[in-house]
Amino acid sequence: MSMPSDFVVETRSLIRAYPLGEAQVEVLKGITLNIAKGEFVALCGPSGSGKTTMLNLISGIDRPTNGKLIVLGEDLTVQDEDFLAEFRCNHVGFVFQSYNLVSTLTVAENVAFPMEWIKKAEAEIETRVKELLETVGLQHRANHFPAQLSGGEQQRVAFARALANDPELILADEPTGNLDATNGQKITQVLQMLKSNGRTVIVATHDPELMRLADRTMCLEDGKLASQSE
Amino acid sequence: MSETAFPVNDLLRRRLQTGLTLLSLTVCVASTLFLLLFGDQIGFGLTSVAENTLTVGYYSIFSSFLLFVLVLVFAVGAVIVSFITFLIMAQRTRDFGLIKAAGCPNSLVFSYFLTELLIVLFLGCVLGIALGFLTDYAVINVGGFQAFQKAPNFWFAPLVFVAFFVFGLIFGLRPLENAASLSPAAALSPMQYYGLTEGNKFKALSKSRLTLKIASRSLFRRQSATVRIVIFLSIVFILLTVSIAGSIIANDTTTTRIEDAVGKDILLVAHKDMGDQYISLLSKFSGATADADFNYLNPNFALTDVVIQQLNVTSGIANFEKRLVCKKQIQELSNFTYTDSATISIGDNRTVNSLIVGVDPEKALSEWFTEGHFLKTDSSLEAVVGDSLAAIMFEMPLLQSFRLKNTTLNNVGVCLDPINNGVVAYVPLETLESLTNVSDPNIVLVKLDSSVDRSNVITQIQERLTAVNSDLRVFELNEALNKNVSFLGSLWSIVTFLPLFSLVAATLCLIGYLMLAIDEQSKEFAILRAMGAKPKTVVVILAVQSLIVLFASFGVGISFGVIITLMILISHPVVTSFAILAIAAWLFAALAGMFLLSLYPAVRFAKKPILTIMS
Repeated sequence: MSMPSDFVVETRSLIRAYPLGEAQVEVLKGITLNIAKGEFVALCGPSGSGKTTMLNLISGIDRPTNGKLIVLGEDLTVQDEDFLAEFRCNHVGFVFQSYNLVSTLTVAENVAFPMEWIKKAEAEIETRVKELLETVGLQHRANHFPAQLSGGEQQRVAFARALANDPELILADEPTGNLDATNGQKITQVLQMLKSNGRTVIVATHDPELMRLADRTMCLEDGKLASQSE
Repeated sequence: MSETAFPVNDLLRRRLQTGLTLLSLTVCVASTLFLLLFGDQIGFGLTSVAENTLTVGYYSIFSSFLLFVLVLVFAVGAVIVSFITFLIMAQRTRDFGLIKAAGCPNSLVFSYFLTELLIVLFLGCVLGIALGFLTDYAVINVGGFQAFQKAPNFWFAPLVFVAFFVFGLIFGLRPLENAASLSPAAALSPMQYYGLTEGNKFKALSKSRLTLKIASRSLFRRQSATVRIVIFLSIVFILLTVSIAGSIIANDTTTTRIEDAVGKDILLVAHKDMGDQYISLLSKFSGATADADFNYLNPNFALTDVVIQQLNVTSGIANFEKRLVCKKQIQELSNFTYTDSATISIGDNRTVNSLIVGVDPEKALSEWFTEGHFLKTDSSLEAVVGDSLAAIMFEMPLLQSFRLKNTTLNNVGVCLDPINNGVVAYVPLETLESLTNVSDPNIVLVKLDSSVDRSNVITQIQERLTAVNSDLRVFELNEALNKNVSFLGSLWSIVTFLPLFSLVAATLCLIGYLMLAIDEQSKEFAILRAMGAKPKTVVVILAVQSLIVLFASFGVGISFGVIITLMILISHPVVTSFAILAIAAWLFAALAGMFLLSLYPAVRFAKKPILTIMS
């Protein structure tokens, strides 16, 4: 970490525009926000309001068109792809709405691969995978492939994978959006556990359960921060 | 939308895929047509070449190689076309499903993609035919093969066009028919459009590194396309091995046989006219002509004892050999041979005007590659015939004999010798002298000590000869030998470079396969990158897939190629350690080139932003 800061995420006038033919469409229109360490933030807002784009920018998956973006003390606007890859691997856990597990890898391998990239010892990886799968209640599914799991199970594997390298920041994009009530409840429990462990969590969600869990709710509307509530 | 507007727009929209497909088809059609045209022009027929250049033995090695390479190139072409059309149409299964899901009737979707297939096939074949003619023209005129030039056989064009068009249509229609038989939901499933196996029960290389694990499992998952590309590349590597290893080994083997027959660093002592004629006879192998009415037994050509005496007293001469060369009519004698059940007559009493060379077997400076055996000291009524003479005049040369004047000489061997294009018979010197009533040789071959100053000794010999007869000369046979060797070298180099086109087409197909891999795994790659994989990890995974496919094909191709080359195409090959190194260098260079070029789409893909891939 090159710059010590009180905030895990700091944005100033953050803009993200995408080309649409000759024109540019602004998805985020100058967002300024700060998220402190250990905070659980829910990003809400209608579809197309910019929630996913916001998470993509914070994780370094996407780059802003303009503005300032500092995550965990790093100015992500000036870093190259390799740095961003390492940054994501070491410091950010990302959970996608559509789970996004690697279909050629088993559950255990899906959880293990982010640890393999930072060259953890094999024994350490094995112990950690076991621990994480126990945490999400899927130790009995370790050798199954994603296609053999239900949606809820896949989402729990995605959480286990996101936690593999013990990241400071966890981002989840509508983690309960594709799940039924029972499975949604299980995911909420995982998030509650993360909150009680003092992790910084940002969740894009429409789920009132998750919003209730949050320390702060930020509502996006048409690419702007419309409201914030404690 | 009209039935042609959609396919045309669709092809234009997918420019890279369309371009690569067209390029692969064009190169593959062009290489096959070029091979047919070029092979026809330099002459697959035995007589047309053997009469002017080479000997039957040498030509049969060369022509069998050329034919084999041609068959392989045609096979490669057919497999490429089937692979490309399979690939492009298999990739469209998802689009097929999408259009069907939108409510388009099955027959209309089928006709859209069939039209696309027909357009690509037609354009690829037409461009390939044009490129094939162009390449043939360029190679013949720029590559120094004008001597072989004759009008190209234009009938090859429709033959190649129809063959490849039909191949492409048959293999391209299969995935289309499969897609048409699926429900829209099934056609949209990755299980269908990538030829994936049901489930993922086989965990290939589960203990290996992550990249190897993902790469190997993806290969197994795409087994239909993987098996096709491995079979196809194996044939390409067989072709490469046969043409590269074959041409290098065949060149070494034939060159060694020529050098052994003519002798290296040998001097020829003869009357100036006789010497010129002898060198012309040696050079007929590489296209020179010799005086057909030359009088070999002209008394002026006789090298008398005085000349021999002069050679005996010249220091620096290691050895010399007297020969009597003449041209005589010989007659084949028919014979009988016995099989288990019958007696068969062989031979037909044919007559040929052949070069006859009288040699002293004990002192011969040459070492002919001989089927049977060469003359021995007690072989007074035996003969060894050149390979062309054996082919022209005898049915079973080693079981037959011939008549020279009134004497019957039994064939005991068939040798490879470039002189007079192999229309030659070697007989004992004494026998020939008594048959022709000539007591002196008309040429002497001289081998110098390797330690002496060569030019100094040659000058000495020339001075001594001039003192006896001013028309006597010393000739270097190396010049004629080198001409023959370089002629052989140029012929073999054609064979080496013939599969170049196939190699290019194979590389394009491998690129196509990796594009399929990228297409299929793009979401996975995006996930890996989103989770922290660097762009180079994606390149490594794709590189591992390319390497697995290449090495599997390389192993199969090289093994079969070597077996075919050494056990079928060349008998008694001369394999030097340098040849092995050269072959290995060529083959690994081809492998490395293909591998590096195949990574182009991977490198291009790795540069794409994660969100672009995910969307």
